[in-house]
Amino acid sequence: MSRLLLALAFVGSAFAQDPRQIISEVQKRQQSASQRYEGTLEVVGAGNKVATKSWVFVRIGSFGDSKSRLQFTAPADVKGVGMLIVNHPDRASDQWMWRPNIGRDQRIALQDRSTRFFGTDFSFEDLEERDVDQYDFKLLADEGAMWKIESRPRKKSQYTYSYLWIKKDNYTFQKVEAYDAKGLVRVIEYKDFAQVKGIWTARTTEVLDMRRNSRTTLKYDKLEYNLPLKDELFTLQALRLGL
Amino acid sequence: MILLRLISWPYARKHLLRVVLTMAGIVLGVAVFVGMHTANQSVLAAFHQTIDRIAGSTQVQVSSGEAGFEEDVLERVRALPEVRAAAPVIEAAANTGQGNLLILGVDMLGDRSLRNYDMEDSDEAIDEPLVFLAQADSLIITKTFADERHITTGAKISMRTMQGDQVFTVRGIMKPGGLATAFGGSLAIMDIYAAQKVFGRGFKFDRVDIALEDGVSLDAAIAKIQALLGPGFQVEPPSSRGQQFEATSSIYALASNLTSVFALFIGMFIIYNTFAIAVTERRSEIGILRALGATRGQIRTLFLTESAISGLAGTALGVLFGIALAKGMAGYISGLLSDVYGVAQGASEVTPEPWLLAAASAMGLATSLIAAVLPARSAAGVDPVKALQKGRLQSLSAGENRTRRLWALACAMASAVAFLFSNIGWIFYGGYLLAVLTAVLLAPAMSLWFAKALRPVLAGLRPVEGTLAADSLIQSPRRTSGTITALMLSLALVISLGGLARASYDSLTEWMQIALSPDLFVTTAESITARSFVFPESVGEGIRKVEGVQQVQFVRTVRVPVKGVPIMIVAIDIASLANHVKLPLVEGDAATMYDEAEAGRGVIASENFARLHGVRFGEVLELAGPAETLHLPIIGIVRDFSDQQGSILMDRELYIRAWRDNAVNVFRVYLKPGADEARVRQTILDTYGSQQRLFVLTNKDVRAFIIRITDQWFGLTYVQIAVAVLVAILGIVNALTVSITDRRRELGVLQAVGGLRNQIRHTIWMEAVAIGVIGLGLGLALGAVQLYYSVEVARRDLIGIEIGYAFPFQMVLILTPIILSAALVAALGPAESAVRGSLVEALEYE
Repeated sequence: MSRLLLALAFVGSAFAQDPRQIISEVQKRQQSASQRYEGTLEVVGAGNKVATKSWVFVRIGSFGDSKSRLQFTAPADVKGVGMLIVNHPDRASDQWMWRPNIGRDQRIALQDRSTRFFGTDFSFEDLEERDVDQYDFKLLADEGAMWKIESRPRKKSQYTYSYLWIKKDNYTFQKVEAYDAKGLVRVIEYKDFAQVKGIWTARTTEVLDMRRNSRTTLKYDKLEYNLPLKDELFTLQALRLGL
Repeated sequence: MILLRLISWPYARKHLLRVVLTMAGIVLGVAVFVGMHTANQSVLAAFHQTIDRIAGSTQVQVSSGEAGFEEDVLERVRALPEVRAAAPVIEAAANTGQGNLLILGVDMLGDRSLRNYDMEDSDEAIDEPLVFLAQADSLIITKTFADERHITTGAKISMRTMQGDQVFTVRGIMKPGGLATAFGGSLAIMDIYAAQKVFGRGFKFDRVDIALEDGVSLDAAIAKIQALLGPGFQVEPPSSRGQQFEATSSIYALASNLTSVFALFIGMFIIYNTFAIAVTERRSEIGILRALGATRGQIRTLFLTESAISGLAGTALGVLFGIALAKGMAGYISGLLSDVYGVAQGASEVTPEPWLLAAASAMGLATSLIAAVLPARSAAGVDPVKALQKGRLQSLSAGENRTRRLWALACAMASAVAFLFSNIGWIFYGGYLLAVLTAVLLAPAMSLWFAKALRPVLAGLRPVEGTLAADSLIQSPRRTSGTITALMLSLALVISLGGLARASYDSLTEWMQIALSPDLFVTTAESITARSFVFPESVGEGIRKVEGVQQVQFVRTVRVPVKGVPIMIVAIDIASLANHVKLPLVEGDAATMYDEAEAGRGVIASENFARLHGVRFGEVLELAGPAETLHLPIIGIVRDFSDQQGSILMDRELYIRAWRDNAVNVFRVYLKPGADEARVRQTILDTYGSQQRLFVLTNKDVRAFIIRITDQWFGLTYVQIAVAVLVAILGIVNALTVSITDRRRELGVLQAVGGLRNQIRHTIWMEAVAIGVIGLGLGLALGAVQLYYSVEVARRDLIGIEIGYAFPFQMVLILTPIILSAALVAALGPAESAVRGSLVEALEYE
């Protein structure tokens, strides 16, 4: 699955039928020096139990060379819990978690990346950005308004392959189906597109966990691009201080 | 079969009580054997089951004794390509407001790769994983624990932690099954980083559990991880855990083996006695059978078959009693181990293993058959003509007596030779067996001699009854010699066990006087053996400043593998220790030993460590810590009761260097002269007690705790003593019942010629008491010898400590009236039966 499931989609030219070039174009159109939004997560569990959480997300750099942070703001009993993600172009990201009540930061091991991200339907791996060069692509179908592309990770991943649907007119991801050896794991749909500072951006991402039959909806508020964010904000020390 | 139905069965029915009493020895021996082993095995099996359940899909565990290791080890292990998943664990017992719990500190992010947390009312491991991780007070408990206490998600559980009193919130309840059944459900899951704070572990883990990539060989992975981490780490499959637990329970196994073998040995003499009498009683029957053409072989087979049936019936009953005994003992052993290890490992299933039943059956049958061999041979040798003549044949022939004496002499000489070479294990045990055999072979002759010696005494007390009672014993030694031998063996066992217990207490008390010299002990638990929680050094530094405190010794006690066995390391400032304590020296130079140990040039080993693990003074030990492997000679051997498997005393600085562990288990506090102990204690509690889990025990408290633990250990000994006394009493009852039956005609004649009922009663009572006196005399003599061997067995194989020989005179004073009263009580029934029976029937008897 092409990384940045939480990222936004873009409009662009339709010059290529080469899947790698299509994905590269998607990345190019999403390019921004930084990003910030306030997210609201709604997790609807198998028993229709609903849990809502909020976080603040900031990112600096992009695609395989970015750093991002998110910090929970609500509910009160999770407030302050944070994540720092340092993406690398040639390998899996480094991830740390900060828990203020315990006063410890903790590195998220590679082996734990397939674990669900704090009870949502995202996994820790889904928070990573991976560069286009970390995948092999195959154009499976031209479905009129969209391309259907298969991506296979070159490096270790919980997913064996993914199907990506990309809208031709604005080069945005519309849907992703992620599979492992046993079959379909997650379906991610991007909705409510709007242009923010010239970048086509999905305002809602829905993740469906096929095995647990649960759904997570992430809504993006106060989304901004190219803010003046300092590199020092993306360190463990800063993570401990909160956003 | 026909002979059994026509001859044996009517005889058994007629002497039902005797048959039951005869079987009693086998029943008891088998019951003790099955009961103790089943209890032991059940507790061990439950412990291993718990290890399996906690291990989940873990294939390899990395640990460094009990000392733990720094967190970076986890990343180093995870980096290996062979490792699919590695998860850190802290495992510790804690008493909470809702009862004792085994707390498993895990990293909930990755731990599910290894363990299955099947939760109640949720498809997720925890209802709100983020809240569980975010809040340091999160706890997952099992449904069993929750149901027993009627608590639900959101309930609060209080616990005294190293950060003071804390209230934890139940944020998940695990469904029964798998992990949730470990330790009978008394298990709770906590975030590992929260657990580090709760238990004062700093930035350390107890162990790392590892699952390997598919296709990776376990041995190859273990070798690679070991090479990566070095000798200071134990890299092994989960099944290797519990060595300490096994070592402790194996002592029980050995002690229970000795008791059951002794009970069976005693039972053997009771059976022998009964069969010997039966052969005499049934001489005419045998004579008729022989006259009708029965062969000697058929007669021998008949008696042996009777014995085998009796042995099998006794075994079956013994197994039933054994299972009942096991159920009680499992709780006892479990409780005892919980005092030592912190969490009670209850055995949910108490069932004997097939091999145990087979071994018990073989033992019961063999004992019974061996006991019947001589009487069966004697029966087969009966002359049909003589047998059909009336009269008794109870006396031992002179030839028989002489042969026994010669055998006894040979055994005594062989035992003496073995004594000279007793440093070799099997020769020592052989010599022990020969010494007991000597006593057994001499018992009939000694009984006769004793009976003759008692005759004037008894006659002096009551001229008629006393003389009759003494003559009965003198004329029919075969009738009573088996009983007296059984009584002698029982009492010898009681004396040796009692003596052993007494000497152990004396030795322990002497050690406590020397080693436990501090005025106060500051610990993390009420029990000084619990090691779940540890102090940081800063607490000790603070205590040093408390007014009235003269000196504080920081003690770290951890079990680490030494020569492959978990051994207790006692790390303390040796210079400070030497100022206050000079442990009883076994080997070495007391003048230089402490200086050398303080300088880190050697370690001081406990006597039991040296003996039980075969290490010698001067031997260089390899002590591998995570940071450094030490090669240090044993520069002294001292008597120390710190741990059952032995201990190694080393300087604290050296320990910290090699193990990178500056935690403290106990602060030994010496007060200034004239300081008010109660006030200092209260000041420490007031200053530090609210900030963290802390107990201040007085010297008296600690001694009382050690004595209580020792009492529990000796609880088993008291069971053994009770069994031995019971067998002895059964023996007396059996002998007298047989004796009365055997003498019905004689007693009938006595009554017919004018003997009063009371005279008959007194005769039987006096005979019973005389049996008691003789048994007591021989038992005390053999007990004195047996005690020597028991002390040696304890020194060599049980506790490894020379506890000294101290004959338990107090016990003799208690035992004498018990045995004599028991003999008298045992005689009441048979005596009444003798005087109330039909005179005509009695005169027609035989």
